[in-house]
Amino acid sequence: MKLTSRYEQTSCRLVLEGLPDLSAGQSSQTIGILTGFSLALAGKTELEGQRDHLQALLNVVLPYARGLISGVSRPQGAEDVPVAIRPVDGQHELELRSSQPDTPPLRLPLDDAELSDLVRCLDRLQLDPQVAVPLEWPDPQPLRRSELRHRLPLARRVAAPLTGVAALLVAGLLASLLPTPKPPSSAPAAVSTPARGG
Amino acid sequence: MADAPVQPQRLLSRRGLERLDLLLLSAEALDLNGGEAMVWLSEEMGLTDLFPNRVELWKRRCSNPLRRTTRRDRITEAEADGLIRILNALADRLYPMLRSLLSSAEPPQLSEQRWALFRSRLQELLKERFNPRRGGVQRLLDPQEGPQLCRELIQTMALSAGPGGFTRLKASLMDAAA
Repeated sequence: MKLTSRYEQTSCRLVLEGLPDLSAGQSSQTIGILTGFSLALAGKTELEGQRDHLQALLNVVLPYARGLISGVSRPQGAEDVPVAIRPVDGQHELELRSSQPDTPPLRLPLDDAELSDLVRCLDRLQLDPQVAVPLEWPDPQPLRRSELRHRLPLARRVAAPLTGVAALLVAGLLASLLPTPKPPSSAPAAVSTPARGG
Repeated sequence: MADAPVQPQRLLSRRGLERLDLLLLSAEALDLNGGEAMVWLSEEMGLTDLFPNRVELWKRRCSNPLRRTTRRDRITEAEADGLIRILNALADRLYPMLRSLLSSAEPPQLSEQRWALFRSRLQELLKERFNPRRGGVQRLLDPQEGPQLCRELIQTMALSAGPGGFTRLKASLMDAAA
């Protein structure tokens, strides 16, 4: 019996179809074997794919959202994977590459709201107890300093060290202007003779 | 039986605390009853052990170094998790509003009015509760830089909402110091 799971969020609809994997001891209401999925994004083509495509989609969309929440827009998806996402003109572009040769990739522009909708649908799929399809979910991790480096503008990043160097130079210059203390003269100091009382 | 290995405490950095409190403040700017909603959600989610009353909740938020009256004691990981959970639930409630702010399909004039309202409320709250001499506060109040930072706050809230939002936001608040 074919089972269906739907996740809808305003501009995004993700539908999974599959069968229960009874040999793995799953309930007859749990999707254990994915036969296909469809993803409809408002005003755009409805996409269809298999488990590998769904895995490729969440492999790029969730790390991309993870970067964005830290203010880092980093493209995701290497050349040889079926899905990629990148920032374009303040928005986002989801690229779907066909396995057929000579088929140009499909590029879907997403605004911030549409991307959030897609991320929410994927989140709900991840936590759905009725879906036990073997998928690997990227674990959100804190970003390293090197990954965050380009978030700050160059001027602000170099401001502190430059100020430090400038302050040192000014201090050195001022210190060089101070007169050096004269060495003590070799002549014996005049000793005043105490006045003789009388 | 051997003891379970002790996990190292993962305390929020200074910047993480600043961002978390700013996001909670943004929720208050979006919802006039946001302060009450936090207390109510805290009780609803069974966080009364961590935040027995609104004063304790307020004190934990005052660990933010950008506040006018800041508290020196660092919040524990459990307290930080509690605040992140509250923010996650608030963002979920406010998601339609966050979405309408972020959507490019909204009429531009209406969208600009919504942004202007949000920014003015956030600025009022910032002037009331935050130290205006701190660079982070000045940048938010700056007419050039402020709007982009406000957009980043709203985008962060939108991606912090929903079932996966907690882990995503927590990981982000634990980022290395830039």
